Amino acid sequence: MHVAWLYLGPFLQGTGVTLELTIVSTVVALVAGILGALGMIHGGKILRAVLVVYVELVRGLPPILQLFIIFFGLTQFGVQLDAFSAALIWLMVYGAGYAIEVFRAGIQDVSEGQWEAARSVGMGYFTTLRKIILPQAFALMMPELTNFTVLQLKNTTFVFFIGVADIMYQAQQGAASTEQPQVMFVMAALFYLVLNGGISRVAALVERRLTAYR
Amino acid sequence: MSKDVVVDIQGLTKSFGDRKIFRDVTLQVHQSEVVAIIGPSGVGKSTLIRCVNYLHPFDQGTIRLLGHELRGGERPSAAVLQDIRTHVGMVFQTFNLFHHLSVLDNIVLGPVEVKKVPRKQAVERAHELLEMMGLTDWAKAYPRRLSGGQQQRVAICRALAMDPKVMLFDEPTSMLDPELVGDVLEAIQRLAQQGMTMILVTHEMMFAKEVADTVVIMADNAIAEMGPAKQVLENPQTERARNFLARVLRNTPPADIPQAVVGGDPD
Amino acid sequence: MSLFSIWGQYFPSYLQGLGVTIELTVLSLALALVIGFVLALMRLSKVRGLVIVATVYTDVLRAIPVLVMLFIAYYSLGAIGIKLSGVEAAVLTLGAFYGALYGEVFRGGISGVDPGQREAAAALGLPPSSVMRKVVLPQAFLAILPPATNRFADIIKDTSLVVTISVADLMLQSYQAISATYRPMDMLGLAAIMYFVVYLLVSRVLARWELNVQRRRS
Ligand SMILES: Nc1ncnc2c1ncn2[C@@H]1O[C@H](COP(=O)(O)OP(=O)(O)OP(=O)(O)O)[C@@H](O)[C@H]1O
Ligand SMILES: [Mg+2]
Repeated sequence: MHVAWLYLGPFLQGTGVTLELTIVSTVVALVAGILGALGMIHGGKILRAVLVVYVELVRGLPPILQLFIIFFGLTQFGVQLDAFSAALIWLMVYGAGYAIEVFRAGIQDVSEGQWEAARSVGMGYFTTLRKIILPQAFALMMPELTNFTVLQLKNTTFVFFIGVADIMYQAQQGAASTEQPQVMFVMAALFYLVLNGGISRVAALVERRLTAYR
Repeated sequence: MSKDVVVDIQGLTKSFGDRKIFRDVTLQVHQSEVVAIIGPSGVGKSTLIRCVNYLHPFDQGTIRLLGHELRGGERPSAAVLQDIRTHVGMVFQTFNLFHHLSVLDNIVLGPVEVKKVPRKQAVERAHELLEMMGLTDWAKAYPRRLSGGQQQRVAICRALAMDPKVMLFDEPTSMLDPELVGDVLEAIQRLAQQGMTMILVTHEMMFAKEVADTVVIMADNAIAEMGPAKQVLENPQTERARNFLARVLRNTPPADIPQAVVGGDPD
Repeated sequence: MSLFSIWGQYFPSYLQGLGVTIELTVLSLALALVIGFVLALMRLSKVRGLVIVATVYTDVLRAIPVLVMLFIAYYSLGAIGIKLSGVEAAVLTLGAFYGALYGEVFRGGISGVDPGQREAAAALGLPPSSVMRKVVLPQAFLAILPPATNRFADIIKDTSLVVTISVADLMLQSYQAISATYRPMDMLGLAAIMYFVVYLLVSRVLARWELNVQRRRS
C-alpha cells in the first residue's frame, strides 16, 4: 500500500483544487440561481423566455461538451481562457442552470399567503424576500440543496480532462506513472466519498438550524 | 361446530406491537346470517374483520372458515390464504377501487386473475352485477369519475364477482355524503335478503336493527354484548353496551335513518 | 470552407458517433432499469439484510463521481485481470450508477401508492406478484414516469464521458474534428445541436406520453 502513501500529498493538493472549484462555483451558482428563479417567477415575458432557454441548454447538453465549448470553442473567437478559469466558469454556468430550477420550486412552495402577509405590514419586495420567503424556502429546500452541492462536487471531476489538477487529475497521473490504476482510482473514489460524506454532515447541521422554527 | 356455522372465531386476541387492540373475542357466524359490529371509534372493529381474511395476522385464538383453520401466531400457507381471500369478499370504507382500471376491469380483474374465468364470461357477469346495482352506464368509466356512492356499489360488484361465501363490510357508508348513503345500504339489504352471509361494521344503528340478525357491541378491547339485533339495541344488558348506545343515540337524529334504509333511486 | 460544407463533410462520422451514443444509452438504460427495480424491491422488502445492502449500494454509488467509477471499471479492473472494452465498462458504470437512481425513483413511486389499493387486491385473493404487477406498478407508473424521463435524458448526456476512454461516440468524433479543422466552436456546435435534438425528442416525446396516460385515467 506504500504507493497510496506516496501519492497522499498530490491527492491532498488535488483536494484543495476540487474544494476550491466546488465551493466557489456553488456559492456563485446559488446566488445566480436565486436571481434566475425570481426572474422566472416574477420576470417579464422576454426574461422568462431567455431563462427557460438557458436552463434547457444547460440541462440538455452533455457537461463535458459544455466544458469543451468554454475551453476550446471560445478560442475560435479569440477568447483564450486558462484551464482553471474555464473550469470554474463552466461549473458556475452549469450549476446556475440547475440552481434556478431548485429555487423556483422552493420559492413557489412557500405559500402566497406569506407574500401577502408581508406586504400587508408594508414590507417591500426585497425585504419580504430576504426576511420572509427565502428563510422558509431554504428550510424546505435543504435536501435539494445538499444534493446540488454533492452534484457540483461530482461535476468537478470532468475538469481534469482539460488539465486542471484536481483529485481526478492526480489519480490519473498516479495511475499512469505507477501503473497501478487499481490503487489510484479506488483511492480517488474514497476521497470523493469522504468529501461527500462531509457535505451531507454539514448540510444536516445547517438543516437543523434552519428548521428550528418547526 | 354446528353444521351451518360459516365463520367460527374463538378466543381471538390481537395487538399491534405493544398495543393490545382486543382480547378473547369469540363469535360465530351462521349461513345467511347478518352480523353487525358496532362500537366506539378505535375499539378494533375494522381490525377484527380484517383478521377474518387475514389482512391482519393475530396473536392468539383461531378462526375456522371454508374448511380452513387460521391459528394465532401462525402464518397460513399461500394456498390457504388465497382460497380464503377468494371466497371472502371485502368492501372497504374508502372503496379502494383500482384507479387505473375502468369500472368493468375493476370487477373483471379478480375472476380472471385469480379464478381463471375466461374474460368473456367474466365480462358478462360484470355487466349483470352492474345492472343489478343500477350502474349499467358506467362500465367504461374510470372510478374517480363516479360519486362515492357509485364507487362503493362498484366495490360491492367487485367483491360479488368472486362469488364469495361471506362478505365483510367495513363501514361502507361512513365516507359518503348523506344523500348517497341510501343507495349503498339498499344494495346491502338486498344482498342480505338473497341470503348472503355477512359481517358488517357500521355506525348506522337503525340499519343494523333493520337488516342484521345479530348485533355485536365492542367496547374496552372486547365484546361487550352480543345477541339478536332488536334485543341488544333496544334492551342492552351490560353497562358498557348501555353507555355506548346512550352516547350514539343521543347524537343521531332518528328521523334520517329509516329514510336512508328505504333508499332513493339507484342512480 | 463554409460552415455548412464543413458540417456536411463531418456529418457522416458524427452520425456514426451518434449511433454509438445511442447504443451506449440503450444498453445502460436497460441495465439501470433492471438494477433499479431489484434495488427498489430489496428496499421495500421486510428483510433487514436486503434493505441494508440496497441502502449502502445506493448511498455509495450516489456519492462517487461517475467518471471515477468509469475509470475503476476500465483501468482498475483491467489491472487486476478483468479486461473490459470501453463500451462494456461504460455500460456497466452507467447501469450501476443510474440503477441506484432508478431504485430511488421506483421505490418512491411504489411506496406512494395508497396501501388501500394493495389491500383491496390482496382481499380479492390476488397473489403478491399479481398485486404488484396488476395493481401497484400500473399506479406507481404515473408517479415514476416524470423522474424516470429526467434520468433517461441524463444518461444520454453522461454517455459522453466515454470520450475519456476513447470510445468513438458523438463526443469523441467532435473532439477529434477539432484538432483536424482548428474550428472548435463549429465542430462542437454541430455536436451540441445533435445532442440537443435527441434531448428534446426524448423529453418531449415522453412528456407527451405522460400526458396521455394521465388523461386516459381521469
Ligand atoms: N396497521 C396498524 N398498525 C398499528 N396500529 C393500528 C393499525 N391499524 C389500526 N391500528 C390501531 O388499532 C386500533 C383499532 O383500530 P380499528 O381501525 O380496528 O378501529 P375501529 O374500531 O375500526 O375504529 P373506527 O370506527 O374509527 O374505524 C386503533 O387504535 C388504531 O390506531
Ligand atoms: Mg374502522
